[in-house]
Amino acid sequence: MTRKILILALGALLAVFAGLGFYNIRHLREPVVLGPGVAEVKTLSEYFPALKGSVNDCNIYVLGNAKPGGTILILGGSHPEEPSARLAAWVMAENGMVDQGRVFIAPSANRSGTKVTRPGGAYPASYTIPTPWGGQTFRMGDRWASPLDQWPDPEVFIHYPSRQNLAYMDVRNFNRAWPGRPDGTLTEKTCYAFIEMIKKEKIDIVIDLHEAELQYPVISTIVAHQKGADLAALASMVISGEEFNIGVENSPKALRGLSHREIGDATDAVSLLLETPEPFLDATRGRTDAQLLLTGQDEFVVRAGKRGLLFEKIDKKGWPIDVRVGRQTSTILTLLDLWSQDHPERAILLKDVPKYAEVIAKGTGAFLKDPKAADPARIRYE
Amino acid sequence: MSMTASASIILAAMVAGYAVAKILKLSTELSMLAAALVGALAGGAGFPARHIVEGAFTYLDICLIFITATLFMNLLMESGGVAFVVRRILVRFHRHKAVLFVMLAVLLLIPGALTGAGSVTVLIVGGMVATILGYMGLPKAKAAAIVFVIAGLSAAAPPVSLWAMLTAAGVNMPYVGFFLPLLIPCVLLALLTIFILGWKAKPADLDMALRELPEAPAGMNWFKIAAPFAVFFALVVAGRAWPFDVPILGLPIIFAAAAVVTIALSPRRLDVLEIARRTVHQLLPLIGTLTCAGILVQIMTLTGVRGLIAITVVTLPLLIVILSLFVTLPLSEAVLMWGAAPVLGVPLVLLFNTLNMNPVIALAGMSIIWPLGDAIPPTAIIGRLTVETVGLKESYGRFLRACLVPAVLIVVVGTLMVFFSKKLAFLTVF
Repeated sequence: MTRKILILALGALLAVFAGLGFYNIRHLREPVVLGPGVAEVKTLSEYFPALKGSVNDCNIYVLGNAKPGGTILILGGSHPEEPSARLAAWVMAENGMVDQGRVFIAPSANRSGTKVTRPGGAYPASYTIPTPWGGQTFRMGDRWASPLDQWPDPEVFIHYPSRQNLAYMDVRNFNRAWPGRPDGTLTEKTCYAFIEMIKKEKIDIVIDLHEAELQYPVISTIVAHQKGADLAALASMVISGEEFNIGVENSPKALRGLSHREIGDATDAVSLLLETPEPFLDATRGRTDAQLLLTGQDEFVVRAGKRGLLFEKIDKKGWPIDVRVGRQTSTILTLLDLWSQDHPERAILLKDVPKYAEVIAKGTGAFLKDPKAADPARIRYE
Repeated sequence: MSMTASASIILAAMVAGYAVAKILKLSTELSMLAAALVGALAGGAGFPARHIVEGAFTYLDICLIFITATLFMNLLMESGGVAFVVRRILVRFHRHKAVLFVMLAVLLLIPGALTGAGSVTVLIVGGMVATILGYMGLPKAKAAAIVFVIAGLSAAAPPVSLWAMLTAAGVNMPYVGFFLPLLIPCVLLALLTIFILGWKAKPADLDMALRELPEAPAGMNWFKIAAPFAVFFALVVAGRAWPFDVPILGLPIIFAAAAVVTIALSPRRLDVLEIARRTVHQLLPLIGTLTCAGILVQIMTLTGVRGLIAITVVTLPLLIVILSLFVTLPLSEAVLMWGAAPVLGVPLVLLFNTLNMNPVIALAGMSIIWPLGDAIPPTAIIGRLTVETVGLKESYGRFLRACLVPAVLIVVVGTLMVFFSKKLAFLTVF
């Protein structure tokens, strides 16, 4: 009996310590200091009231509106375990200025997924980006929405409306549930709300930011719906000539549920998806910690590369977070430049967002604002 | 220190931790926990409470499937349904050895296929099938071998194959397309096993066998047995046919619904709480294994040990990897049980996938080899369970020798599936 009580007490102690850790991360407040370009902060539920009060009722930062033009939506955090996507969105929301058109930014498009880490994955609970004023801590997040918010998973996930069979856990995958439906799961409702928003705001371009393991063939590329194929190809040529190599791929018509396919099919918007390399996601990775997440340096992944098992190069320098964030911001800026040249009446002129070389030179943290020094009225929390 | 060196040292510490725990006669699941804790300490992570708890939840959904499916099977057994089926099959087919063998093989395949656990097959129908085989003149060692081998194949058979599910989850691969690649070899090998080992059997002595088998209660009939299965399959089919109208239930609730129907139709009054308590008690070592395997995998990932194993495996020459599967898979199962799937299965599938082989067929091939390790010490849980259930008094070695021929067949078929995975890709239709 004593032994049982002892084991129970140890279990309770473990549950309390771990539970506090989970609670703190789920409720960690991530500040966004509204940049001078932010004209308005909306919430997703404004486009689909059923989401109001739910974990996925995320903030949408709206930049611009000074001069009529086109509109772009930037989705960060579709898969929150891909941090350059959220960070690039953050940097744009805190620094961007818009001379023409409007820029909608969702740094935490799949907010439920930011509040959980993957069982078995040994992810760090959070990571801190060094800044001139100390550092800013972000939730690590996972690929899928938290089972605390959407559970149970079905025996097999059948995509709406194509009926394509997908892995059961992908029922919680934000980038497999497009275009969503109003009476579906939380993830499907979230996608549906974004589709409503894209239609209502007459959004011209949607860019979904992602990162990929180096063992995944779709990497360092722009995946484009056929409506955006020319734009993506041109951007790929310009960027590869001036900054870094980036490919372009057509969105497969047979693979359903992904933003680059479904948004383009369901709305008038051009849908694009960006992938940067993230060695942290590779299954051959070594020690799993925030350092690997931010430096992208891993001896085992380098070994896999030497054996020709990867689809992107890697050496001792790895893939630091600043390189990855810079790739995201530069690609977006180039796409907008090219779009604006081609569509002067729907131009989107975004400025004051750092490009690739500048992010690498100064570090991502240089573009994150100190919430302590900001006007509290200009702070929102993710 | 290089990552390879540090991960190797941590791995050595974990192996030592496991060995010491075993020497101290701790169970396999506690030995895995000990290895994880030693690994965390050696890796400089201290006592990582968050990682331990998070890892423990890795296979929560699978544990729930396991519990509800086994509860369903146990209720069916307690209601007298299993005894009814076995007696009816025996009465109807006792003169036709071949037909009886086919029916017994199917009977052995069903519980494990539905629950993913060979132990459930052994516990639910193993004893009764062994009784019939005994009255057909088969020695107990051979009867035990038949029950054990087919129980292992039943665990690998669809719809619930834990090795395939755990490995697929580890590489973000859908558990889709496995039905035929698992079903066909499992059924064929089960039939081969019972026919080869039962070659010298005679037609069953009906009177003697019926006298020893448990009685089926009055009022039991085929409808009462079929109805819970019909509910199970109806709910699965409804979820697939009308996915946007039927609420998501999940397999645990579907199994629970089948269990409720079993209770409602049982001619015997069932002590549900007692049966549920016994079910959980019966499954405790297996749930413990899944929980501790989750913790172990989490700590191995945290410290880089999983990466070391993965990179070592994926950089080995392919032919060596494939030709050594017959040793590495059963041995990893003997040490880690299902924990072998995420630890060894994940890098193997990554390797096969990278080399453009078909990962579904390859994983299905591996999944039928893995259960053979359940007869090998140090764990040998299902092997020993079978020997006890069948009442084999001879040495464990004699039981192992009886398993040898079907084991070789399984290994050959599994290895060929891996080798020719690309050519067999047409099987991955659903």
